[in-house]
Amino acid sequence: MYGFEAMTFNIHGGYLEAIVRGHRAGLFTAADYNNLCQCETLDDIKMHLSATEYGPYLQNEPSPLHTTTIVEKCTLKLVDEYKHMLCQATEPLSTFLEYITYGHMIDNVVLIVTGTLHERDVQELLEKCHPLGMFDSIATLAVAQNMRELYRLVLVDTPLAPYFSECITSEDLDDMNIEIMRNTLYKAYLEDFYKFCQKLGGATAEIMSDLLAFEADRRAVNITINSIGTELTRDDRRKLYSNFGLLYPYGHEELAVCEDIDQVRGAMEKYPPYQSIFSKLSYGESQMLDKAFYEEEVKRLCLAFEQQFHYGVFFAYMRLREQEIRNLMWISECVAQNQKSRVHDSVVFIF
Amino acid sequence: MEVVDHETPSLENGQTDKEVEENANVLQFMDSMDAYLTLIHSLSSTLRRGWLELASARHSMGASRVNTVLLDHTSHPAATSLLVTQDEGKVDSGKPHFTLCKWASSSNENSLLGEKQSSQDKLHPQLRHRGSTELYEEKTSSENKASREVDDPVQKERSKSLSMFGTLVSPKLRAAQLSFEAALETLVEIANMRSEMLCAFDQVNMKLAGRKDEK
Repeated sequence: MYGFEAMTFNIHGGYLEAIVRGHRAGLFTAADYNNLCQCETLDDIKMHLSATEYGPYLQNEPSPLHTTTIVEKCTLKLVDEYKHMLCQATEPLSTFLEYITYGHMIDNVVLIVTGTLHERDVQELLEKCHPLGMFDSIATLAVAQNMRELYRLVLVDTPLAPYFSECITSEDLDDMNIEIMRNTLYKAYLEDFYKFCQKLGGATAEIMSDLLAFEADRRAVNITINSIGTELTRDDRRKLYSNFGLLYPYGHEELAVCEDIDQVRGAMEKYPPYQSIFSKLSYGESQMLDKAFYEEEVKRLCLAFEQQFHYGVFFAYMRLREQEIRNLMWISECVAQNQKSRVHDSVVFIF
Repeated sequence: MEVVDHETPSLENGQTDKEVEENANVLQFMDSMDAYLTLIHSLSSTLRRGWLELASARHSMGASRVNTVLLDHTSHPAATSLLVTQDEGKVDSGKPHFTLCKWASSSNENSLLGEKQSSQDKLHPQLRHRGSTELYEEKTSSENKASREVDDPVQKERSKSLSMFGTLVSPKLRAAQLSFEAALETLVEIANMRSEMLCAFDQVNMKLAGRKDEK
């Protein structure tokens, strides 16, 4: 049994849990997605979205709309909701909510560093950063030449500082080093988040352990598939896998030596939760793997709402909203490219 | 009963030879136009596929990883270049010929050899059933061997081009790259076919003008 959370949780977390459950009720249903899939143009999509909670964010956007505009404005809504919850939260919930954004922070750091390497304008790069991952000194990233400088000049005062210990070198930043840096940072972040949730204990630890373990396993599969045919060695690949999850450690040993998608399937089918995912795919095919993983993730995230008095609902809501934005992006692209027959390739229904 | 002598060439048979030649020119023009239209259709479908695959890659990897701000603005040699030559050894030597030099920044000889051989094969389209997208004969076994030998450097060059989006990219992005590569090849084929078509058109026009002068 848990530690009598029902008796004390609502003192500090009751209001915000109610808020997040209210937000969850606003997520799109299958009927909403079917209406959106009937749209012929992006302006039709805007018209449909104007009747939803996204309406105020899109109403002032002029035509012709672009798919990136729809995604940016819908993301602003998520950011506003997150900021409202963060400013109302007390410890340890506030730290938990901050942890949710560190993944975006890592993406933004890599975007700025990569863009600077390609001699792009810093302002242009800052405009494309995810708003949830912004921090004060982010623009200073552009002056760093190697990871040591990156850490010393900028990241030492950010929440990402503890994650840099494993990837500080004096090697100049290039495409391969940046990729390894990205994945090493994300690995360290996931492991840190996992330990934090374990320390919280109770229902939060149980539910978040499952969700983060799934995230770690999915990352391992994606790293494996994306590194097939590249210069990444087996040892380097193995080092990028997280040190927890259902696949740790034996599944990782098998994935590290996979050379094609069928070998990945062979390694994953030994684990019952992933056997059902790979059973949806035909042999040699990996196109629908993303959708299969997203569907499994959505199922687990929705289950988090079946229990009360834990922080997992906040993580689950943020991820479900991000999935909704991904769905909107895909529907918009299919409508804009006049490829509506392909809409259901990647849309994942939440309810 | 009138006996028609088929062996002795007469004015009537000379005109028939002319007509045969004119018909051949007209047929060549129509054939090249058909090939041109088929290539345009093929290009359209290849580009549609490529754009959707790019959107799919963006959906899979995230907007921050597949983004125009990641395009490389540093000075670097072009991965692919276009070579424009004049056809030699032909009567209509003013006709330009376009050759794609893929991955010309390295392994130039192999890629150029492979491209030149395949482009020379593509100069002479053959009559085929309308609606088919197969325009040319299959490569010989020697060309297949040469293409296998250049595959590894080509794969490296492909990965190098994609590295602006990161070194561990989704297979969907690689598929999009292949689609746009195929579209580029089709564009060069369209340019060559258009050149062929315009040349055939000029010949038909010349023959028509010559006939009017005779009258």
